[in-house]
Amino acid sequence: MYTLTLTKGVPDFSEGAVSFDEDGHLERGDTPTVMNPNDEFALKAALQTKVRNGGTSALMSMGPPGYKDILREGMESVYADELFLLSDREMAAADTWATAITVATGISNLDEQPDLVFAGFKTADGETGHTGPQTCWALDWPLVTHVISLEAYPDEGRIRAKRLVEGDIEEIETIEAPMPAVIVTDPEFEPVYRRADHRLKHRDLREETQERAENFEDHLTVWDHEELNLDPDYIGLDGSPTIVQGVDPIPKAPSEREAEEIDPAEEESMDELLEEMRPHAAATAEAGGD
Amino acid sequence: MVDIDPTEHDISELGPKVNDIEDVDELEAMLELEAESEDRVPVKTLIESRIETLTEDDGDVDEAVDVTEVSTADAANLIRNIDDPERLEELRDAEEAGEERDTVLRLIEQQLDSVLGSEDEEIEIEPPEEAHPHLDHPTADKEYVHSVEDGEYRDMWVYCETQGGELVDVSKELLGKARELMDEYNETYGVSASDASGGSEGERSDSSGGDENVVAVVIGSDIEGIAEEAIAYGADVAIYYDDPALERFRHKPYTEIYCDMARGAGHPYVREDRHEEEWRDYDEPRYVVFPATNNGRDLSALVQAELDSGLASDCSDLYIDDVVISNPAKTGGEGGKKRFERVLHMPRPDFSGFEYSTILCLDSPRREFHPQGASVIPGKFELPDPDYEREGQLIEHDLELDDDWLPVDIEEYDQLESGVDLTDHEVVVCVGRGIDRDPTRGIELGLELTDAFEDAAFGLTRGIITSSFQFDGHVESYTGEDRQIGESGQEVEPDLYIAAGVSGAIQHKVGCDESDTIVAINTDPDADIRDWSDYFVHGDLFEVLPNLIDALETGDAAEAIVDAGVPATGGETDD
Repeated sequence: MYTLTLTKGVPDFSEGAVSFDEDGHLERGDTPTVMNPNDEFALKAALQTKVRNGGTSALMSMGPPGYKDILREGMESVYADELFLLSDREMAAADTWATAITVATGISNLDEQPDLVFAGFKTADGETGHTGPQTCWALDWPLVTHVISLEAYPDEGRIRAKRLVEGDIEEIETIEAPMPAVIVTDPEFEPVYRRADHRLKHRDLREETQERAENFEDHLTVWDHEELNLDPDYIGLDGSPTIVQGVDPIPKAPSEREAEEIDPAEEESMDELLEEMRPHAAATAEAGGD
Repeated sequence: MVDIDPTEHDISELGPKVNDIEDVDELEAMLELEAESEDRVPVKTLIESRIETLTEDDGDVDEAVDVTEVSTADAANLIRNIDDPERLEELRDAEEAGEERDTVLRLIEQQLDSVLGSEDEEIEIEPPEEAHPHLDHPTADKEYVHSVEDGEYRDMWVYCETQGGELVDVSKELLGKARELMDEYNETYGVSASDASGGSEGERSDSSGGDENVVAVVIGSDIEGIAEEAIAYGADVAIYYDDPALERFRHKPYTEIYCDMARGAGHPYVREDRHEEEWRDYDEPRYVVFPATNNGRDLSALVQAELDSGLASDCSDLYIDDVVISNPAKTGGEGGKKRFERVLHMPRPDFSGFEYSTILCLDSPRREFHPQGASVIPGKFELPDPDYEREGQLIEHDLELDDDWLPVDIEEYDQLESGVDLTDHEVVVCVGRGIDRDPTRGIELGLELTDAFEDAAFGLTRGIITSSFQFDGHVESYTGEDRQIGESGQEVEPDLYIAAGVSGAIQHKVGCDESDTIVAINTDPDADIRDWSDYFVHGDLFEVLPNLIDALETGDAAEAIVDAGVPATGGETDD
């Protein structure tokens, strides 16, 4: 089995890491780049495949040269054998379709065709969830999205997966598909390692990967638009159908109620609040006097 | 100076005449003449109301006078209504001299651009072989691109998702919104509107219908009834494809069928045996909208990829407007500006909820990016009332299903136990990021307080869902997205809403705003939630909640007092 996982660097949106300017705009320059949190689930699926089905795994990202560090981080977490970075000024500021065209070309440019391509659902900065499916459309492979569990049967060249469907009701579908296929993992994805030898394999792979990760640049291939034979008008900003016209801070909620201040240290004050709450108290908690 | 002396005319003659006059000064002179001699009240009212109509927009602005004195949001509304470039420049100077808010200045510049417009310059396009001689031609990307040149685009298409043989609510919401948007659209840009303004670009002289339609797309098994329902919810045309193999959503065939429907007979990528259809006369839809559900979002991405266009996902609103753009990718050169008409504006909460972005899908000088596409999160638009008397056209789409489109088999499916329902409870307790000091304890306290009520539910803010808090196993099952309250979660309206450690972002507010009584518990006296709560307990939830829980269980207010150096049972009150 040969798998490829798509990953992306995004601004770190976790509490405390984000900074804003006076107008409430996000200061991207001051916000550190981390691996897109949802890619974790794609990496888990790739790791499960490598541990259970063997073979090699690769990671691919599109972005500035600094994304090498994201790939290194990914290498350690997925025990990747090869890293690919699509990096070029012409690719910058791409929306999902321009990204999908670039990434699909990158995948077609690999020496060996992957059996499975994994993508995470939604990046934290764009949050569209479109790049995985659109890359798949360009490749014209079967697509399985919102995957929460996966079994691969390399001998039969097939996969079986469970996927989440939402709407007015929530459903789980069990699907079967041939490989190669693109798998978009859901944040609910759970890898399964039932056998002891899976766990042992884990340990061996970890040791082996640590060595590789120290010299990760030896395993890294960087492609620009010329190497991929991509027309600059069809990638990056110029190839993007959409633009962001305006970014506005989320407006402050307009004030509509007059809050009465309650001092938690004052019995009278608290009693007033409790008057509001008591009518809803559980039966056992009824005040004796009333 | 006055063409028409009102005193020489009867009021019945004056009506149409006055309404043709555009010059306010002339109207005022007429008003003066009338007042001096005949002084008829109805005539004066007629002229005055015409003056009012002509000066309405300016009037609003002049009264509000100064954008520097209002909030950014209010300023945005004011600026949008100003058409006078001089007035805009004054406002810009005032803002620069005053608060210098970047957002306000940008809005003023944008409005100035759109008022002044700019000359459409012919852009010379170098053939790709000359522009990029070092690349092979055709380049690798062309394989994926199925674009149209000089395409004709009309109508708004709404994908109607079904589940278990029923139209899902968000599809109905979208149909209602599409109806509203296209009614406005036809008023602004329709044949009648463009006739009045001397015709406008993009209207085909031989176009059959004139005004543009809402087209519902229904794909599935046994769904003719759904197509009829789509008309009741506002569609003019419902096009449907019925096949037992398509009972459940499948990516490849649904996308192929949708795109086959979307392409007109003259489309360069249309299948060979496609015949002309009476109900349409264009290459591709102008706009396409989808529900932002798992399957709807996937379909939107695939359809737009196949039609070589773009889209915004998870939009929270939609509107159509003209816009002037200076982005060089769209204008074809540095520094230029270009006016785009009838653009679908797609605002969406972005950056994990910190900002709103407005996304536009615009033609580039070298490629046409139509249809303009969007997916919309459920619950953003009102659920319309169906009108089963409404007339519309039902079109069954004719296409042979290709076996190659069905590589993915659905073996089985199970309905999940319906998630947590936070609505329909007397009380809702919600915790936010204020629990960060001890997230597990914070959840425990929230759950205990919930239990102290007869009929209560426990919810969370989006901040908890997106946080990296580590919860202990016993509370972890209470920290899932199914308990999220707010714009992208559930909307609740209990009698009593208790928000502990919730800062009060507007996206959260919309999820609980309709509650009868809102109690906030927060250590920050300036938290936004203070502005929209009835009681603001200024204190630490880790201290306040245990006391509230005890007090509710014993019915004793003294239990609820947070020890602040004062003895809890101190004789502060008489009883």
